Amino acid sequence: MSKLTSKKINIWGAFFIMVPKIARVSPAVFSAWQIIAVAHAISYGVIAPVTQYFFDSASRFASGQAKWPDAALGLVFLAAAHAIKQALNGTANFMNLQYYRKVEGVLATELHEKISGLSPVSFEDTQVLDEMNKAVQGKDEAVWYAGTILLMLTFYIPYFVCMAFYLFGIKPLLVVSLALVFSPTLITQVLRAKVFSKAEDKSAPVRREFDYYECCITAREYFRETRILGAFAYFRKLYGDSLVLLNKIRFRASAKSDMAELGMQILSLGGYVGILLLLVDSLLNGEISVGAFAAVFGSVDQMFSLMKELIVKNFGAVAGNFGRVRNYLKFMQMPVRSGCDVEIDKNADITLSGVSFTYPAARESAVTSVSLSIKKGETIAVVGENGSGKTTLVRLITGLYLPDEGLISYGGVSTEAASMSSIFKNISAVFQNFQRYQMSLRVNIGISDVNTAADDLTLGDVCAQAGFDKNDTGFANGYDTMLSREFNGVDLSGGEWQRVAIARGLFRSRRGRQVIVLDEPTAAIDPIEETKIYNRFAEIAKDKTAIYVTHRLGSVKLADRIIVMKDGRLAEQGTHSELMGFGGEYARLYKAQEQWYV
Amino acid sequence: MKAAMKIENREYKLRDFLIIPFSVSPYLTLLRAADKVVYALIPSLQILATAKFIDTAINILNSRAQKNQIIFPLVCILLIIAHQYITFALMGLVRDKMSMTLTEAFRTAVTEKRARLEYRHIENNETWDLIDRVGKDPAGRLDGGFNIMLRMADMFFRVGSVMLVLAMRVWWAALVIAIFSIPLFYLAVKSGKTNYEASKEAAKHTRRAQYLQSVLTGRGSAEERSLFGYSHEVNKRYYEKYETAYKINMKSQRSRFIKMKSASLITVLISVLIAGVLIAPLGTGDITAGMFMGFVTSSFSLAQMMSWELTEITGNLANNREYLRDLTAFAKLSETPGASDLPVSFIKEPEIIEFRSVNFAYPGTEKLILKNFNLKLKAAKHYAFVGENGAGKTTITKLLTGLYDNYTGDILIDGRNLRDFTQAELKALFSVVYQDFSKYQIPIADSIGMGNVRSFSRQAVSEAAESVGLNEAVLKLPEGLDTPLGRIKENGVDISAGQWQRVAIARSLVSRAPVHILDEPTASLDPVAESEVYGMFGEISKGKSTVFITHRLGAARLADEILVIAGGCVAQQGSHAELIKMGGIYAEMFEAQRGWYAS
Repeated sequence: MSKLTSKKINIWGAFFIMVPKIARVSPAVFSAWQIIAVAHAISYGVIAPVTQYFFDSASRFASGQAKWPDAALGLVFLAAAHAIKQALNGTANFMNLQYYRKVEGVLATELHEKISGLSPVSFEDTQVLDEMNKAVQGKDEAVWYAGTILLMLTFYIPYFVCMAFYLFGIKPLLVVSLALVFSPTLITQVLRAKVFSKAEDKSAPVRREFDYYECCITAREYFRETRILGAFAYFRKLYGDSLVLLNKIRFRASAKSDMAELGMQILSLGGYVGILLLLVDSLLNGEISVGAFAAVFGSVDQMFSLMKELIVKNFGAVAGNFGRVRNYLKFMQMPVRSGCDVEIDKNADITLSGVSFTYPAARESAVTSVSLSIKKGETIAVVGENGSGKTTLVRLITGLYLPDEGLISYGGVSTEAASMSSIFKNISAVFQNFQRYQMSLRVNIGISDVNTAADDLTLGDVCAQAGFDKNDTGFANGYDTMLSREFNGVDLSGGEWQRVAIARGLFRSRRGRQVIVLDEPTAAIDPIEETKIYNRFAEIAKDKTAIYVTHRLGSVKLADRIIVMKDGRLAEQGTHSELMGFGGEYARLYKAQEQWYV
Repeated sequence: MKAAMKIENREYKLRDFLIIPFSVSPYLTLLRAADKVVYALIPSLQILATAKFIDTAINILNSRAQKNQIIFPLVCILLIIAHQYITFALMGLVRDKMSMTLTEAFRTAVTEKRARLEYRHIENNETWDLIDRVGKDPAGRLDGGFNIMLRMADMFFRVGSVMLVLAMRVWWAALVIAIFSIPLFYLAVKSGKTNYEASKEAAKHTRRAQYLQSVLTGRGSAEERSLFGYSHEVNKRYYEKYETAYKINMKSQRSRFIKMKSASLITVLISVLIAGVLIAPLGTGDITAGMFMGFVTSSFSLAQMMSWELTEITGNLANNREYLRDLTAFAKLSETPGASDLPVSFIKEPEIIEFRSVNFAYPGTEKLILKNFNLKLKAAKHYAFVGENGAGKTTITKLLTGLYDNYTGDILIDGRNLRDFTQAELKALFSVVYQDFSKYQIPIADSIGMGNVRSFSRQAVSEAAESVGLNEAVLKLPEGLDTPLGRIKENGVDISAGQWQRVAIARSLVSRAPVHILDEPTASLDPVAESEVYGMFGEISKGKSTVFITHRLGAARLADEILVIAGGCVAQQGSHAELIKMGGIYAEMFEAQRGWYAS
């Protein structure tokens, strides 16, 4: 595995990784696709000789050297060639489109599976997130990338080989001079890419500013305040100034690249003229027939445009996209979280010994040397200031994150050794940033345990416990009501969503799952609702091992034990009265809140 | 500079794709149009030149002409080719310049219109989607529309001129092509349209698939996704949706390709027929060999063009029409007069703000948020609004600040109707700290000074920064108060959530507005930080009228008077002590929170 990741992926390497991936999706269609591409190329290639044949026979007929059936036969050939070309052109283009789309879908599902195997901590790593975003984009481009190279091999090259044979037969010098004429196009392409990437580097920051000032005027999150402050004029000026600057940079880059293009075009033109003169000379010397002249002259344009397409569209895109394609391939080679499937004893204690954890790219550790033991059935409250490491500690306990140092074990099985599914098997949770799935109510709750049927009876049960009554909100389709306005359903209020999230946690904890984690939401909730949530949490915690995280210290009294976190360390633990007696961090936090209520 | 362009309230039509660019930059527009016309005439000129050339060459070969007679047609051919090569690069520059000019004029006009919109359009999801669609690269859309118009003209002229050349020699052949072209054209237009409709239908499924993809890959859902292990299941649904969209698309694409290519095959057939019929005049010498070859070559290339370009253009056209419909709807959206004005430089401090039997429902909804709402606020007093989520606390501030005016009843400020105040006056009257305040990523001095955008002094800003305890943080910044916040500028610096909160409060401190509103400013803070913020309120409220909206009832005690908003009206009113004594909602809510702390 590590060998693979360290291997550098080059342009061809990427191609050879992608082709089997693409071919595997549907080998039969894939082969047909490639065969048709070659046939398509040949159908393009034969147009010129057939045209020549027809013109020659027609001019012979015109000068009385041949009879009309001769010319008519040429016409039939030409018509057939064009008809076949059109039919193949349609088929080949349709197959390109179809196969690309098909593969994109399959690769997307592979990518999703890959992501599901990553360690959840990856999502805290901006670098990994960045790579993942690029991989999601790069996936489609990778299909396109490999497809384009394939197309070069099965379409463009066969076509040019056909043409080369034909031209060589007419006049060998033509082949050489045509190859020479194409080179300026290639050079311009390289130059252009350079000019633009330089301009892009220069203009990107200005563009970002410009877009941002537009946001300050128009975006939803700024609109109200910008209006009431009367800040429009301020941002309008910045907006205008940055746009002028941006356009200046863009114009300079365009002018430069267009002038380079012009120079190269003039070079190409010179070459073209040379070829034309060569043809004219050969024609007038009687070396080539009129038909050959007309056929070659007629196909030069096509060769130029196909060559340009190959170089500008295909080479350019392949080179330009390679970065993202490599991102995708590298991402697909990234190691997933490993671990064995083991059976974990449901009655085992959870022990943490000397656990430390640092977020990727963070300088300081979020949790430092925490040792702790949680007994079956115990209710633990975790408190502390924002950023004290509460949520991280809970993520470590659940096994979502693995410690950098120390060990967390469930009855002797460390979270590091076990696979994610075997640790999570025994755990349910209501997260702080619980998700508002734009799916039906049934799925919203049942999604926590997809292997159990979410029938109405069970849902009724967990909803009742969570304090959620679907009849309150007047759902037209009962549990199958879509909870999303965007997808033609209804939207819930913040409090209702919170209750759905609790029902979700409960649904998972039904099948004898012993551990439940409850992380308190931070969003604004009115006091009555807040109290209800606490009471519900207490209810759920009763016959489970429960760990809950809270800001509102008034609510922790129902816990068997309170863990106080400060700067990533376990500062204190004990019951409420014990901790108040210590007069430490807990007492300080408690008093800060209590003062407003006594 | 020319007078700035404005989005007018009228129907936008296809011709606007020509009119708007022309009004923005007439020379560039004409230049591009002229270029297109010349470009369109090239195939027919080429037929003529090539025919002349080949005929002359044949004559030379048969010794019926001098060798130097070839020079004229050869030069013509060379000029035609040279024109294509040279104008391509030059027009590239014209195109780029034009797209920049359009951005400056049109995108700016759209942005300015957005700034003037009535606030309700921003909060309403439907109109917001519209605004968002129109605002996405408007200049690019306009440029795209302009291009389509040019391409249409190009095709018209190109086909037309080739036909004309043909008609001059063999009139009936032109007629045959014209007659056959009509159904082909119809076919292309139709397939472009059905293709567009199918892609719209498929887009519904694609959107769903994209949503599921965001669940599968998003950062926000990472915890639940891992713990609940639902990826596999959701992935299956994703693929189902993807495949449904794929099948719809492919079905329409297949029919598009079949239609398109049958059109080309028919054109090939017509070309063959013409060529076949022209063989006879070729034999009699009514038509020259050069002309014959020219026609045959160009009619076959028309076959290729008719199929691809025509369907592409019609498909694009449907898409562009959709944008014009959006633009028209956007242009119709109502504006708030004076919305983008600066606040007035002076406003008298109001003695009494009064709501008299105000009823209010959000536009497009039935539910009355305020019902027969009455309220009287007096100068220099501190008020707290408390109540459940959705009770209408924030709505009151939206009415006061003039964001909504579709209420019934009256809001009076010292007896003067709120509706008679200009936006500039209202802006000067109120300063608001929102729960989701704006994190302006500009120099910190400006981000604070924004509270008094008309005339903030450096000194006022640094005093405000000191009052909210930002001094130390500012000293640590590389360029002090001039340091840009956030990541927009390259030398920008990120600050913590707590520090942003302080910037927002400092903004309110530099404001000279007589009435200050604080809307849940501590909702996302932890209790200790929250306590600190409360401490700053004293600073803000010194000698000013304040309205403080909060869930934390403990903090409401800071106010002179607490108003409990419930059921669309003021349910209770009084000081903390009075309300506790009175019993009822407030006492209950306070008990609920206090209960956690009572030992």
